[in-house]
Amino acid sequence: MEELILELKKEIIEVLNLEEITPEDIDTDAPLFGEGLGLDSIDALELMMLMQKNYGIKVDNSEKGKEIFKSIRVMAEFISNNRTK
Amino acid sequence: MKLGIESYCRITNNSVIVNDNSIEIPREQSWLTDIYHAAKISYPKFFKMDNLAKCGFLGSELVLQSIDIDKTTPKENIAVVCCNRSSSLDDDTAYQKTIQNNDDYFPSPAVFVYTLANIVTGEISIRNKTMGESAFYVMEQFNPQKFCSFAESAFLDSTIDACICGWVEFFDGNCDVLFTYITRNPKNNKELNIENLHTLYNL
Repeated sequence: MEELILELKKEIIEVLNLEEITPEDIDTDAPLFGEGLGLDSIDALELMMLMQKNYGIKVDNSEKGKEIFKSIRVMAEFISNNRTK
Repeated sequence: MKLGIESYCRITNNSVIVNDNSIEIPREQSWLTDIYHAAKISYPKFFKMDNLAKCGFLGSELVLQSIDIDKTTPKENIAVVCCNRSSSLDDDTAYQKTIQNNDDYFPSPAVFVYTLANIVTGEISIRNKTMGESAFYVMEQFNPQKFCSFAESAFLDSTIDACICGWVEFFDGNCDVLFTYITRNPKNNKELNIENLHTLYNL
């Protein structure tokens, strides 16, 4: 799981252009939206594309998205249980 | 209509000039990111912008660094007018690549949001909290006469006291930017006219 968490942090930094942030800066349990990384709605759509492209998981429900994107740890657990890639 | 250029900034692929001063840019990352760091700007959203918006953002930032618009002009009285040749074609091309192949069809929302040239004026308005009119024109090449006309048209609204007005072109790795801060009562003697714009563009 720790390996997947690190991989996910690196992917999020790259795909969301979080230029001045390193994986170590991201709190695994902190909220991704609102506080924490302070991501916005476009970032949420970009995360949905990341899930589909890299892990074969289609997130097509915004309520489900809210749950999955709660934190890096929640995301990683969901990916671990549902990935097809 | 007599207007003046209170501040200007010229950015090309290898130089940055602000109000007659050449700015040294240490080369470390991409050219636009290097300018961002050299200008000591702190605005994380910069990194999410496409290259056209980055050019517009940097041009406006450098022009405004020498002017304290918070103190000089009410935000609702500042217009933003931009123009260029390639519109958002650079980002349009990037977006097309994300949807080109049926087997690798992953349209990027972050790229898509910049597939409109006037997003540049929006980014500048958001950053500076300006609330005057904004417009984006597309023309074949930099044309000082039209540039003057675009700026003057913003001042037809009697409530407008100042205009952030720029030529902001980016396509295929090439940037060509001239930003100006135009006012009704400039503090210097640089009049907004074809000759002065021609001189600034050819610096």
